Amino acid sequence: MNAASLRVAFLALFSHYRRHPGQLVMLLVGLWVASALWSGVQAINASARDSYARAEAMFSVRLDRIERRDGEPLSMHDYLALRLAGAPVSPLVESELELADGSQLDVVGIDPLTLPAGSGFRTAGGAATLTDFLLPPYLTRVAPETYAALQADDATPPVLADGRQLPPLQLAPELPPGLAVMDIAAAQALLEQEGLSHLLVAPEVTLDLPESLVRGHAANLAAPGQLTDSFHLNLTAMGLLALVVGLLIVHAALSLTLEQRLGLMRTLRALGLSARALVALLLTELLLLGLLGAGLGILSGVWLAQWLLPDVAASLDALYGKRLGSELILPWHYWLGGLAVTLGGLLTAGIGTLWRAARLNVLELGQAQAWRGQFLRQLRGMAVAGSLLWLVALGLLSWLAHQPPAQGLRLGFAMIAALLLGSALWLSPLLAMLLAGASRLLKRPLLQWAAADLQLQLPRLSVAMMALLLALSANLGVGSMVGGFRLTFLEWLDQRLVADLYLNPPTEQYAAVVDWLESRPDISALLPRARAEATLLESEDMRTQAPRQVGVYGVTPHPALTEHWPLLTSLGDETAAWQAFSQGAAMINEQLALATGLEPGQWLQLSSPTGVMERRIAAIYPDYGNPRGEVMLTASQLSERFQTSPDSIGIVLDRKMTSGDVTPLRRALVQHFGMSGDSLIDQREIQQRSTEIFERTFAITRTLNVLTLGVAGLALLSSLLAQTSQRRSQLAPLWALGVSRLPLAVIGVAQLAGVALITATVAIPLGLALTWCLVEVINVAAFGWRLPLHVFPGQIAVTLGLAVGVALLAALLPAWRLWRTSPRTLLTEFDAI
Amino acid sequence: MSPAKHSTRFRVWLALVLVALLLLILALQQRSTPPSESFAGLGEKAEEYAQARPGVTLHFPADHGAHPDYRIEWWYLTANLEDTEGEPLGVQWTLFRQALAPPGNDDTNDAGSPWSSRQLWMAHAALSTPDSHFVAERFARGMTLPDGKGQAGVEIAPFTAWLDHWRLESRVTDPAGDLLDRLLVSAQGNDNDHDFGYRLELTAEGPLVLHGKNGFSQKAADGQGSFYYSQPFYRVEGQVEIGGETRNVSGRAWLDREWSSQLLGPSQEGWDWFSLHLANGAKLMAFRLRGGGKGGDHYVSGSWISTDGQQTALATDDLWLTPVALSSVAGRQIPTRWRLRLPAQDLDVTVTARHPERWMDTSFPYWEGNVVVEGSHQGEGYLEMTGY
Repeated sequence: MNAASLRVAFLALFSHYRRHPGQLVMLLVGLWVASALWSGVQAINASARDSYARAEAMFSVRLDRIERRDGEPLSMHDYLALRLAGAPVSPLVESELELADGSQLDVVGIDPLTLPAGSGFRTAGGAATLTDFLLPPYLTRVAPETYAALQADDATPPVLADGRQLPPLQLAPELPPGLAVMDIAAAQALLEQEGLSHLLVAPEVTLDLPESLVRGHAANLAAPGQLTDSFHLNLTAMGLLALVVGLLIVHAALSLTLEQRLGLMRTLRALGLSARALVALLLTELLLLGLLGAGLGILSGVWLAQWLLPDVAASLDALYGKRLGSELILPWHYWLGGLAVTLGGLLTAGIGTLWRAARLNVLELGQAQAWRGQFLRQLRGMAVAGSLLWLVALGLLSWLAHQPPAQGLRLGFAMIAALLLGSALWLSPLLAMLLAGASRLLKRPLLQWAAADLQLQLPRLSVAMMALLLALSANLGVGSMVGGFRLTFLEWLDQRLVADLYLNPPTEQYAAVVDWLESRPDISALLPRARAEATLLESEDMRTQAPRQVGVYGVTPHPALTEHWPLLTSLGDETAAWQAFSQGAAMINEQLALATGLEPGQWLQLSSPTGVMERRIAAIYPDYGNPRGEVMLTASQLSERFQTSPDSIGIVLDRKMTSGDVTPLRRALVQHFGMSGDSLIDQREIQQRSTEIFERTFAITRTLNVLTLGVAGLALLSSLLAQTSQRRSQLAPLWALGVSRLPLAVIGVAQLAGVALITATVAIPLGLALTWCLVEVINVAAFGWRLPLHVFPGQIAVTLGLAVGVALLAALLPAWRLWRTSPRTLLTEFDAI
Repeated sequence: MSPAKHSTRFRVWLALVLVALLLLILALQQRSTPPSESFAGLGEKAEEYAQARPGVTLHFPADHGAHPDYRIEWWYLTANLEDTEGEPLGVQWTLFRQALAPPGNDDTNDAGSPWSSRQLWMAHAALSTPDSHFVAERFARGMTLPDGKGQAGVEIAPFTAWLDHWRLESRVTDPAGDLLDRLLVSAQGNDNDHDFGYRLELTAEGPLVLHGKNGFSQKAADGQGSFYYSQPFYRVEGQVEIGGETRNVSGRAWLDREWSSQLLGPSQEGWDWFSLHLANGAKLMAFRLRGGGKGGDHYVSGSWISTDGQQTALATDDLWLTPVALSSVAGRQIPTRWRLRLPAQDLDVTVTARHPERWMDTSFPYWEGNVVVEGSHQGEGYLEMTGY
């Protein structure tokens, strides 16, 4: 065997694609789409992780923070008293600034000299610039992204909205975007603040703090790492699903092109090509195709990521307050990883065919029936494997049921993967059983033939149908989850936002504003709210023993509020729970209940400036979107025990007098107290803002979902198109027996639509199961709250229609081709047999 | 858990080393070769600082306070102590001041923020037992609140030098006496999870001693120098604390005061500095600046202080400082045994470190430790060596 003959053999094998360019296109499209989706998602993840690494490296993340219990800024004397007593605390000032172009910049002022060693010195400017950092005109240290956004040219420093200038910019690649770090002297002047936002201290330092101060432990500060991990795991799971679906297409297309070349391969073998050389040639072909497809895929994946990244950044920012660069930063291993995954998938998909090519019997003739016999064996294997996967899913489910909810994220995804794959594997056996039943039941010969013929087509269709099943159920599951979330969230927002207008009066004006408001006849209720921080002390009922930092939220239990405020579980009925609450009981949010295992009826202990307080839990309330555990008390109780005044007042208008229009009141408040727009928030504004955040959060999920469904449609189309020519030889005898082309074409379409319909019917319960898993397991683990399960019949109908539509679309082209096939061509089919 | 902790500790350590490099240069400018252009322009503005010159009369108590117009300054206390068991102990308490910008920049500095200051403070505390050496350091900027309080500084009435809770304060009640005659010094620190601290009362048994010519101490052949005086006559009583255990101690201490704007010549790379209490009641201060002498020799100088506090300035020809044995400390070769000869006083002694491991692993790493004097005279004291 020499190089020349190898070359001839390779050309012969490859010439197949010249005769069937469609197959080549489909193969490449499959590879391309699969790897594009996967690499897009991975690119987003990689880029986001880079941003986090920078955020995590920043001092505030790994250090404990000390704040005043009443939430007011700390004074310089608070700081100095601690320092002079030996406490190694470091001051920090933070706030937002508006730039001339209207954008916001977070400004943090630090004192590099007292920052705990190793935490933020790099952030402060490194060795060479400490003097510049500490002295006028100071330095503004920003990430490259922010630098580029701020600095139009090198000569002029960026200007604030009020015309003042920022200190000269300096690049700090280790900072997260959107953040400016400067010396505390510069920051205080710029932000016009005299106080300190909080103090930082290394976690290992033990401190005696005065009662007015409270220390938040780094580990308890909302653990953004875990939350963002959840988000990225979600994305990765979507990407993986897209990859599986894409590889199924590749598998379908690949088996077909190899199948059709079996004859050619036999000829080549008969001409003296060794089995090893044949496999090597096929492997080369696979690698070439894989490289091309993966390359295209990775490039478009990057493009896809660039398109989606602003949305990802926006939703992460909204969800967790994480800053993310909207610029794509890709590490080198990303490229290799993408290529490896795609090529690996391609080889796995092609390995069965390669195996057969290696063991090719030179003398055996291609027989559809023999192939079918093998397929039956394969079906049994699939059923067994599917059942095993289901068992795995069940096992994981029962195991997860006994775990604390927050720990089940990865296993939850594993369970979903097992459920989906198991069901996909069961699809073909199920279809085969149904068809066998149908061919027995159907009496009319043509229909009987249609069922039998479909059985014969099944091996080729099944992979495409599996892809369709996965995409449909994912679409349904994720769709219901997002839809359900949306419904619950909006309803909850409605219930929580009972006031028409929310007011944040400055502390010194507070009493005057309340007096003034109380004297107005058009107001039916005033609902002051207050906030504080506390430590939830150890209690024997709690699942985790370590004391944890919680938010304390004070509300006014006015009927206007209590009638709407949703409760999940309560001690007695809701009225009784609110009554208990008014009399001093506490309520806790779902996040805290899930994390600690506390239930209504149990007691909790909170630290407060006036000593430890013990409260009975009256109810658990839903608190979507809040990453933290929260305890709710009455506002008056909170003010008294935490020595803080309400930070905002909800104003409920008298419907009869105002018909709900807040404008007059708003205007009067501005006139009387000179309040700015910031301290007056309209209920509608909040709702609008929240809805926007929500929509952005799920934009990516939906985009990926639609793309996955599109991929599945492509899979179906490609496998159908690829086998049109083969179908001709199956149809030609029927035509010869006198069946005209129209019924034949209709039967073809109906066969596919039927299979698609069955697949979609299977996808519905699977999708619902998926929704349940997402809502009950994944969401609870990822976000800490549980959503009610919503089923959307309309969406199910759309999914069914979509499946059939995709199938019809895919079937129409072959049907049309058949319809256009000339009798002469059909006759020639007999030559081939 | 454990590897994560390790890596955190490693990072902390790494950052410390980085900070070290910076403050080493910033806080003790004299060690560095000429400041490079990139170094915040300090080099160019050097002449804008006040310069130490001969012929200036020192005034007390004013000169016990800070001299913000000079670039660098320190209050440097070392004590040779003994606990009730007779175990020798050493204590160091140092406050450094470093100006980040020359005087005249104060106006641009205020911006209404109490934080803004062109002064940077650094303090070192150390405690040596025969077998261990505990070191801590702290930093602060010269912030001042409207009521005059600050995180670090030196006040004259009543005399207090402090950084956070590390304090050196006057206990003098007699208005006629010098403010430094009675002092209370205290510090608590933590070195590698070992708590240590001390609280010592110092009583001067002799007068202040001005070095060089009336307090101007020349540091190089080309005339650069510093203002330099000492109070070497302290008797010490107090307590030291190691890992929660308190020991009563007594002994002798030496306070150095020095300020300058350009202490070192460009070619000087470090120094070896002795402050010795001799058994007969006399004191010897001696230093050797490596390089910077005539023709690149070492520049040697010192003071012989008689029991009643009379100072005799010593020059390169009077005084012989010779390293006789090196120890390997913190990866460097450091002379931990010296021969000191002062023929005019018939002094020929060997000065030996109590323990070679007295490396100050601070931002500005150097060797500082208690020493024993043997030979023609007996005694004890402190040795500081930098630039190795």
